[in-house]
Amino acid sequence: MERVQKYTKPARVFHWIHSGAFLLLVITGLFLFIPALGFLAVDSWSRVIHRVAAVIFVLAPLIEILANRKTSWETIKSVFKWGADDLEWAKAMPRYYFFCDESSMPPQEEMNTGQKLWFFLLLIFSPIFVITGILMWFFKYSLPSAVFQWSVFVHDVAFIVIFAMFLVHIYLGVIHPLMRKHGGSFSSMVDGTVTADYAKSHHGKWYQKVTKS
Amino acid sequence: MADKAILYDSSKCTACRGCQVACKQWWGLEADKTEFWGTYENPRDLSADTWVKIRFNEISNGNGGVDWIFTRQSCMHCTDAACVRVCPTKALYYYPLGFVAYDKDLCSGCGYCVEFCPFDVPRAKGNDITGIRKIDKCRFCIDRITNDLEPSCVKTCPTDALIFGDRDELVAIGKQRVQELKATYPDAYLYGEKELGGLHVMYVLTQSPEVHGLPVDPQVPATAIAWQDVIQPLGYAAIGLVVAGLGLNYLVARANANKEAEVKAKVKAKE
Repeated sequence: MERVQKYTKPARVFHWIHSGAFLLLVITGLFLFIPALGFLAVDSWSRVIHRVAAVIFVLAPLIEILANRKTSWETIKSVFKWGADDLEWAKAMPRYYFFCDESSMPPQEEMNTGQKLWFFLLLIFSPIFVITGILMWFFKYSLPSAVFQWSVFVHDVAFIVIFAMFLVHIYLGVIHPLMRKHGGSFSSMVDGTVTADYAKSHHGKWYQKVTKS
Repeated sequence: MADKAILYDSSKCTACRGCQVACKQWWGLEADKTEFWGTYENPRDLSADTWVKIRFNEISNGNGGVDWIFTRQSCMHCTDAACVRVCPTKALYYYPLGFVAYDKDLCSGCGYCVEFCPFDVPRAKGNDITGIRKIDKCRFCIDRITNDLEPSCVKTCPTDALIFGDRDELVAIGKQRVQELKATYPDAYLYGEKELGGLHVMYVLTQSPEVHGLPVDPQVPATAIAWQDVIQPLGYAAIGLVVAGLGLNYLVARANANKEAEVKAKVKAKE
């Protein structure tokens, strides 16, 4: 079965470093969010890990963007382009994801509309996490209390939104039956490739562009 | 068991600051380095090692003279305490006698209590870069009062500006004292009778609260309530819905995928 390269090695390395940092942030953050887990935050070590992971979480994309300025800029631009194609995806979504009717879904780009939405939310909410996090970390006692009070609240709201999307991301990446067909999607983040069949059925528009060259 | 409380009478306080010393003596707290900054008020602020201090204010008394206002500054031991609401480890908790108790071993150093206290009382000590720190505040001399002793500050006060007892009795005493004071101080006020559900450290004030540097009608910050009582449950609900939705999708999608595979197999078998 012919395979197609979807993600380069740098892209995959970045993905795993960033998501590793993200998981650490989620887990250590949950210790302070869920009262029943509060005892795990005693003695502050989870908060040290949260800070170290936060630094990685910020540095990794910065390095990635600086090292691949052109492709990064193209990708970020594409995430802000929304149009008729995305409406088509939305219309086909229930049939596709619930009834596994692949014929109902129009051909998608390298990132389908759902993936674009995930990327879009990350681009909006990550800076919100980072800014409120920086306020809480470095300006805790030097700004009026109200700033900190709002930072905690906003940080929490951002977490709920992103964590919900994160669960969807995992689910659609490795659990949904359609994403395990044709050799599956997970390999795209392991060795960077997917089968030609997978590329044709899930990212048809992109597959055409890539095989033309 | 009846709630206990401390009553501080600002009109009887001579600002000897024996309370500051007695508190440190009993709890073995370090001295804070101080420098003269224009008044007798020292240290300049509460700290992780200074749990009570006296504030000095001078105000014009309208007769060409100056009134020297002394105000105790320490944990007010609220009935509805913002710090207890936001503490993630329950290091801060309500003791059955009504005051806000503190178990330092459970403190995670997050500092939420520092930022949400309407009276700006808890203080942190530690490393702000790594975040490893512990908070501290007045502990209501829990080990003394549970052994039939008065809090350390109360015991040492030479003028009985500080007294300790059942809260109901102290409310009555405080109200009566305010009535007596109104002749000379028309703005006299019993602070803490009703604020935040009732404070377990109440103040007889000679002036209105803001003159003493106290917040008028203090509230638990709205963000604390929005965070703990709204967003957190909503968050659980939202995530729960997502998980349930994904679970449902999996069951439906798998059933349909299997159906399709069956149909395909049948078609193939026919061929």
